[in-house]
Amino acid sequence: MSEELEQIFVSLVDTSWKRYEENKRNGLMDDLLVGAVIASNVEAGYALIDLESDGVRHYLRFEKLATKERLIFQLRNLTEDLVGAKVLGRHARVVMGYGTMTTNIGKIWKIFKDEVKSSMIDSNEPGVISFDADITAGYVYAQVPLLLEIDQYLDAGYQVNQPLLQSHIDATIHSLRKYLNGRLSMSGGA
Amino acid sequence: MLSFLSKFQHAQEMRESKDEILTGEIVRAMTRKNMPAIGFNTAGEDQRIIFKPNHSILYKVSITVDRKTGGSKISQAMFGSKAWITFQAQIKNQVADPDDLLEMYRTDAKNIFKSPMFGDVKLDHQLNSVFATKRVTVDIDKYIPQDEAGVQTLTDFLQEHINDVEEKLKPFKKG
Repeated sequence: MSEELEQIFVSLVDTSWKRYEENKRNGLMDDLLVGAVIASNVEAGYALIDLESDGVRHYLRFEKLATKERLIFQLRNLTEDLVGAKVLGRHARVVMGYGTMTTNIGKIWKIFKDEVKSSMIDSNEPGVISFDADITAGYVYAQVPLLLEIDQYLDAGYQVNQPLLQSHIDATIHSLRKYLNGRLSMSGGA
Repeated sequence: MLSFLSKFQHAQEMRESKDEILTGEIVRAMTRKNMPAIGFNTAGEDQRIIFKPNHSILYKVSITVDRKTGGSKISQAMFGSKAWITFQAQIKNQVADPDDLLEMYRTDAKNIFKSPMFGDVKLDHQLNSVFATKRVTVDIDKYIPQDEAGVQTLTDFLQEHINDVEEKLKPFKKG
């Protein structure tokens, strides 16, 4: 009898830990994705040069040291609580950007700004490519917001589907690079 | 003029970013060792990354990179880029009971004079968790990999210190 009661107690503790871990794991999934993005980009030859995180909003900047090309990632977890995550799936708003150093950044940035003066444009909607510049460092960026399902990149436990993540980063950066280089050559800044 | 400023700014940015570059390399090395990053704390001067070992008695491992010198050109020339790297590993037991309180006092008493700064592993017992902490001083440039051999050097360095803290925690893991 005593052994039976002990078994019940052990199973109660075990189930409690499973529930506890499920809650904990849900809150960590965006950080897991951020870590996977860092690992992926470092494997692809980029150096992490900026990292800011408050646990919900994450900001990353990378540079390929040989070519000075830069990538930016902003990731915000949209489903921090477990109920939302179970109902909707885990979603994140991700802004990916590709930047290149230009010699005449002042002129280029003025042309770009003059082109986009409409207040009707909402660059927060997914798929809308916008430009940004870091004038002092001489960088111009093309960036795009996307709404991604975090779960598609995660396997069981804390494993990440690295090939899928890498293919999505590659595809987005390829398009942004092509778009930015095209615009720069039209503006005489390539 | 703007072009000159950009080049100057770029060199300065790269010098200032050395600790982030090392952090990125640590995340890559730990991911390869099946310990993915699951937490980032960059609120202060240092950068603390938490990793989840997938096949280990360890519940979590955190690595903190705290750069001490080399932020400016003069400091870099005089002292190089020195940083403290702090390793902290945690084990967690599923059941804690009153006997653990006694164990906590014993562990704490043994550790009173230990300092993680001098290469000692310091233990901290908290009811159902035990933490082991170790701190080492490194030259950042030595551990920023230039090639695959450099990645292996960094991986070996991380593994060596994680093994150290794990060894100290093994006796406290139940079940």
